[in-house]
Amino acid sequence: MLRTFLRSGMGMKALYVFGNEHLQEDAMARKVAELLRGKVNIVHCRSPDDLLEADESVITILDVVKGAEKVMVITDVSRLKTGNMMSLHDFDLGFFLNLMQQLGQGKTIKIIGIPAEGNPERIAKEVERWL
Amino acid sequence: MPTITLNHITKIEGHAKLTLGIEENKVTVCQLGATEGARYFEGIVVGRRYNEANELTSRICGICSCAHVIAAITAIENAIGFTPSEQTIKLRELLTLAERIRSHATHLYFLALPDYLGYESAIAMAPKYKKELQRALNMMKVGNHMIKTLAARDLHPVSAAVGGWLKLPSQDDMDAMGKALDGIKKDAEDTCKLFFSLKYPDFQTEGLFFSLKSEKEYAMLSGNFCSGDRCHAREQYMNHIAEFHQEYSNANYATEDGKRFLVGAIARLNNNSKFLSPNAQKMLKLSKIRLPSQNPFHNTHAQAVELVHSIDHALEICKTLKIKDEKIPQIPIKAGRGVGAIEVPRGTLWHEYVVDEHGVITKANIITPTAQNLYNAQEDIRCFIPGIVHKTKEQIILDVEKLIRSYDPCFSCSAHFLEVEWV
Repeated sequence: MLRTFLRSGMGMKALYVFGNEHLQEDAMARKVAELLRGKVNIVHCRSPDDLLEADESVITILDVVKGAEKVMVITDVSRLKTGNMMSLHDFDLGFFLNLMQQLGQGKTIKIIGIPAEGNPERIAKEVERWL
Repeated sequence: MPTITLNHITKIEGHAKLTLGIEENKVTVCQLGATEGARYFEGIVVGRRYNEANELTSRICGICSCAHVIAAITAIENAIGFTPSEQTIKLRELLTLAERIRSHATHLYFLALPDYLGYESAIAMAPKYKKELQRALNMMKVGNHMIKTLAARDLHPVSAAVGGWLKLPSQDDMDAMGKALDGIKKDAEDTCKLFFSLKYPDFQTEGLFFSLKSEKEYAMLSGNFCSGDRCHAREQYMNHIAEFHQEYSNANYATEDGKRFLVGAIARLNNNSKFLSPNAQKMLKLSKIRLPSQNPFHNTHAQAVELVHSIDHALEICKTLKIKDEKIPQIPIKAGRGVGAIEVPRGTLWHEYVVDEHGVITKANIITPTAQNLYNAQEDIRCFIPGIVHKTKEQIILDVEKLIRSYDPCFSCSAHFLEVEWV
């Protein structure tokens, strides 16, 4: 709640950033987010549950899309591949976003998908166009 | 009756398998095992400083990371002879309760409920059960928020430390958590009503129901390890809990004085129900179960009741604890052995450490609830099958999955847990 207050107070759009800086194939979103600092309010997410605290009507997510060659925007979360919910460890982003959409919480999900590799500066410029 | 073979096996998220053989209504093979590779955490902490065990072992599990942190801290403090302040203990209780609220809400609605309502998954349920799933998200959100407030992260917390808290919540934080908890009280009560209305298989386990038990509270961080009046001092746990291997599993199995046993919410309820909050007592009365229950399927009931109790208990702490500015004291190190036992969402979690005079860990032992439950779950399946063998293969699979899932194992089973061969 405190974080939500700070986000609103800062008057900038929040960008929910997923990824793992320690994995080369999953680190790009964090690198790009750093280049966007000051233009958006960066919220680093450690688990999809972090989105439970998102109070914006449009939730903008930055994440690496496996196999993507350029920046893309996904608003239809049913396109996301989700595995079976086998255990609490499988409460992944795809499952969570699908659930949020099914529950019709009145929120629009906008995922800015970026390639795993490439020039972070160039990718950041493209991402900025979609914010 | 046809002869059937329920033959191997599928993995539960790659970590476990069940091999079943049934001939002429008799179970000839029943092997429930974990196939996850050994993780060597007990080896990793050896040679590290006493105050590193909690952060390292929190990585054992993303779901129960707070539990491992508190268990490790408790064991280390026990080893070096440090007694934490009352405030420190209360905040540790609050963190443990927050994790329990998050975990129970998630397990009940996203894993157990689809089984009982006949859906493949919670997403498939969502169009018809929006209100119910929203309830789960409400409770998860509050649990998450509390963990972040108390421990600086919702996973792998960092504020809780040996000796106290690196960062304390403010009184405003306590008030905000209390307000948030107030807002989900009805969600928890409605959860009880929903889960009490479901039909559960009538099955009695032969296992003993063990949990921590205290003479003054619904035991969580305190108490001895008991099943009814049969109690073991926590420091003596290894004199009674024996771990053993089977060739088909990478996880240990456990017995208590040679007998099978189980841990978890239903064991806690069996042993401690008189200390439930008044609201939780009221909910328990609405339930048709009579305690002590021998039915492992009632673990789901128990988790629902515990949601109500945990919210009430957490609320009481938020309302009554006046935060004092306590710093972590300088801790004189002395050599020793310490045991930490706490009640985490899935049952009793054990951490044990030996620390030398320099504060270096020389020995570690960790026993998780799932490891303690594995043998009993396997033997329950063996006993359960003859009663359902007349059913269709799909029903048998679903019933066995429900039984395994009722234990809320950390390697919970998938919607297609078993591959079945009928011969």
